[in-house]
Amino acid sequence: MADDIATSHPSRVVALAEAATDARALLSVRDLTVEFQTGQGRFEAVHRVGFDVAKGQVLGVVGESGSGKSVTALALMRLLPDHAARISGGRIVFDGSDIVPMREAEMCRIRGRRIGMIFQDPTTSLNPIFTIGHQLREGLRVHLGLGRAAANRRAEELLNLVRLPSARAALDKYPHELSGGMRQRVMIAMALACEPQLLIADEPTTALDVTTQAQILELLRDLQQQMGMAIMLITHDLGVVAEFADAVQVMYAGRIVERAPVSRLFANPAHPYTQGLLYSMPALEEEDPPVLPAIPGMVASPFAMPMGCPFHPRCALASDVCRAAVPPLNPIAHAHSAACWHVDAMMAA
Amino acid sequence: MEPTPLLRIRDLTRHFAVGGRVVKAVDGISFDVQRGETLALVGESGCGKTTTGRLLVRLAEPDGGSIAFDGTEITAAKADTLRAYRRRMQLIFQDPGSSFNPRMTVGALVSEPMHLAGLKRAEQTARVAELLPLVGLSADYAARYPHEFSGGQRQRIGIARALALRPEFIVCDEPVSALDVSVQAQVVNLLTGLQQQFGLTYLFISHDLRVVRHVATRVAVMYLGRIVELASKQDLYRRPRHPYTRALLSAVPSHRPGMTRKRLDAIGEIASADAVPSGCRFHTRCVHAQHRCREEDPALRELAPGHVAACHFAESLPS
Repeated sequence: MADDIATSHPSRVVALAEAATDARALLSVRDLTVEFQTGQGRFEAVHRVGFDVAKGQVLGVVGESGSGKSVTALALMRLLPDHAARISGGRIVFDGSDIVPMREAEMCRIRGRRIGMIFQDPTTSLNPIFTIGHQLREGLRVHLGLGRAAANRRAEELLNLVRLPSARAALDKYPHELSGGMRQRVMIAMALACEPQLLIADEPTTALDVTTQAQILELLRDLQQQMGMAIMLITHDLGVVAEFADAVQVMYAGRIVERAPVSRLFANPAHPYTQGLLYSMPALEEEDPPVLPAIPGMVASPFAMPMGCPFHPRCALASDVCRAAVPPLNPIAHAHSAACWHVDAMMAA
Repeated sequence: MEPTPLLRIRDLTRHFAVGGRVVKAVDGISFDVQRGETLALVGESGCGKTTTGRLLVRLAEPDGGSIAFDGTEITAAKADTLRAYRRRMQLIFQDPGSSFNPRMTVGALVSEPMHLAGLKRAEQTARVAELLPLVGLSADYAARYPHEFSGGQRQRIGIARALALRPEFIVCDEPVSALDVSVQAQVVNLLTGLQQQFGLTYLFISHDLRVVRHVATRVAVMYLGRIVELASKQDLYRRPRHPYTRALLSAVPSHRPGMTRKRLDAIGEIASADAVPSGCRFHTRCVHAQHRCREEDPALRELAPGHVAACHFAESLPS
């Protein structure tokens, strides 16, 4: 299995100039564009994003607020807010079927069952007036058609699986009676109840303390290997990605700006934004320079997107071409692509 | 003779009564803050670090213990004495957005402390025009409203406001935690630059051990209302002596893919401050805990010059 990941994944993360989906991939996204309509006007939160996730692969998606990483996840689950957002283009092929045109009834058989999800804040995803057991059993009965007794047994099994202390007693507890880390374990148990092929985890440890985060990541890693599911891990934390993902894609202002196998991205970041993120972060093991090499400026507003490369106002390498045209995501090495007009100069440096 | 520390904290205590239970938010802590240094206070949510910061600037009343600022006891100071000290110490919050009145302009927000201190209008305006460029903002922004700005810019406004009365001491409570990663380094650089320029002393409260390693002179680690370890930054990161400090450090994800994680010295999650465990309050989570740890509360002991930790077995922990 480990060998399989090492040999098959890099080929899956090459730049996708052509719009053909990859039939071997579990998830194949092409030209995905998500449009928001707000009081201040219309904008594209995600612009022609394409990527694949192979069976059993862990794909890290890194970005800051406004990068489009969470909107991409919501689009994959068809959970965009109806009144404000819509998928205005592209395809999301999950296990051979495009889910973009699917009717809601059909989508319900995929969401929560074949694609599981966990979010940053478990308190907002758990219903405060029902017990943990009730909420776990509900999913099992709806999706798997289990009877009451069978659902109850399975619920307890799941809580044991996520290593919740005294699982049986926890079934009768309400969400507020559990700590943040335990609530996140319950969320993971709910997401895994139907043994999904793909788990979308949006900042799953961001609200947790660092020692709890380490324990939850370890749990997710163990379960992923045990069940062989693919994970799309969305985070702003490069450290979490370094530890957890097989491949990484970096998003900025609604676009993918770089994609590479995880060790390659950390050793040879090619896009000036990725480099900026990595170098501006204080080190844990060695001495930093007295002034951190910060990225200047701030994330572009969706209502005032600069012309050309969205990163150019913050980029030291910006030239006329960067101000005029958006750079395509081009391959620069095996399984490594970047969207930068000056990528050759960056790699030579 | 040792110079007088800017702050001298002894046996500081703050307990809250919540639903008939006593929450020991701060439970007898002592430390000094030297002039010009950055003392970092680290720990996880619920450890009492934010309450400690508020006690130091007297935004919260201690139940016991003493706070001396520049050699003067201010623990029981009356309002008028305190006002003079308040000018000398300020607070920067995690989320400046939520601490601002949205109906006040940036100029009014930055002026407010000067207004309260009785400065003349003209002086206030002149100082605002000086402060905004100092924190990297255009002086023209004075007429605009906080919602027009990004998180990083709002934090700069918060810093300008804190600097208005030329304080000596600033409590920075998670000043970069709410900011985008690409903006955090800018604000860290601003804070360290201002410290050098004006000789400021910081209490830097943070859960981010990377940022702390960059800014701190010394680091104090808190757990359930107590300081469990305090040392120079170099000593603490190179040779943490308390199992909790070791757990915190080993839990920070490395930026080197493929690195195998060191085994964690901690299990489970922080206990509740309204049900503090007997003996060593960390024993319920400590993989090295022994019988003595359940019975006897360890005192902070000096293990090396300037390096204290509260663990019975600090000398014999496996490396």
